[in-house]
Amino acid sequence: MALITLAGRPRTGGRRPGRSGRIPDAPEIGFENQWGLSIPANYALAARRHMHEFGTTSAQLAEIKVAASIHASHNPHAFLPKRVTVEEVLDSPMVSDPLHRLDCCVITDGGGAVVVVSPGVAADLERTTVKVLGHGEAPKHTTGGRPDLTFTGARWSGPAAFAEAGVTPDDIDYVSIYDSFTITVLETLEDLGFCPKGEGGRFVADGTLVAPHGRLPFNTDGGGLCNNHPANRGGMTKIIEAVRQLRGEANPGTQVPDCRLALAHGTGGALSTRMGSATLILGQEDS
Amino acid sequence: MSTEPSPRGHLPVVEPPVNPDTAPYWRGAAEGRLVLPRCDRCGFVIWYPREFCPECAATEVTWFEATGRGTVYSFTVTRRAHGAWGEVAPFVIAYVELTEGPRVLTNIVGIDPDDDRLAIGLEVTAVWEPTPEGQGILRFAPT
Repeated sequence: MALITLAGRPRTGGRRPGRSGRIPDAPEIGFENQWGLSIPANYALAARRHMHEFGTTSAQLAEIKVAASIHASHNPHAFLPKRVTVEEVLDSPMVSDPLHRLDCCVITDGGGAVVVVSPGVAADLERTTVKVLGHGEAPKHTTGGRPDLTFTGARWSGPAAFAEAGVTPDDIDYVSIYDSFTITVLETLEDLGFCPKGEGGRFVADGTLVAPHGRLPFNTDGGGLCNNHPANRGGMTKIIEAVRQLRGEANPGTQVPDCRLALAHGTGGALSTRMGSATLILGQEDS
Repeated sequence: MSTEPSPRGHLPVVEPPVNPDTAPYWRGAAEGRLVLPRCDRCGFVIWYPREFCPECAATEVTWFEATGRGTVYSFTVTRRAHGAWGEVAPFVIAYVELTEGPRVLTNIVGIDPDDDRLAIGLEVTAVWEPTPEGQGILRFAPT
């Protein structure tokens, strides 16, 4: 039996946004800390390159925030429960272009935990359980000074998880995708195989991500973009919302009908330098 | 050695950590020369500069003076920042792809951040900003 926890108070604890995330003893830090590289700037570099190669637009990125805000409006605990429009995202102040303030996640306190048990223990529990069907994890680094900013470590962690679970992206009913910034979601969805590389902008338009009836409902708690981001991390809350969906316990208005297979994905580090990616595929108790 | 201030003022300078692995790079930087290691076995030009090839794991390298030229691979104009960087915002952070191959994090200076010429593919050349302790910080300006 394993208890896995995460908690942190970056909001009340005074850990200001934008400065964290650099690894002070990474050997290449002397070649990264000279330029005023904030966390938003780190992700903005990836967004700009993705736009350049694939024609992705700020309005398409904004669709991700819009979907998250619709979900947050159903969550009585959401930090930002107000629905926003694409225009409001585009009109919000530019932080590090092309990323606006509303492309960025919130800074909140919070925490969470999951208990992982053996099938034998699970059989005796009264509470509905979910099953771990597959997992994958992968690092991505700057590869000898040739980083490609258009993909994430999900390119490797995703296929490993799908292979172990014996399912494909088409089988997934709900996804929790780590969403430090809108671009994080877009690149991750592509890398996990929900759409071809470069098609993410078109994929997220037209309400694809909006529960309950979008093609691929995501982050139905409002995610990091609107709900919470404890300890400046999002993996734990991503798992928890996936479990809620599989148990049928998501907030009214966001429950995906007959949600049988869910995927949760976490990203650590930063998109334009070093990162770790982790993918988890979960199923209903009888899956 | 030339120093090109940003049109909106000098960017903050952070004193770099120098260790035996990276010392040849910093000796060049102090003289305004971009000195990089090339793998003796596979020819890979290594970044960050060190005496180890991440491509083939060889530890024999030859340091050489690079052209200091490249193109913008990606960039962002940071408009909100903390501390000393907040005082000089907006400023430009970029990955520059050197002619020799590596993509290096840097600032683009010598061009207004809102200038339309600032774009992916812009040709740039190294400029060096001296630190109080005599090191050189690598930035780039339009060629």
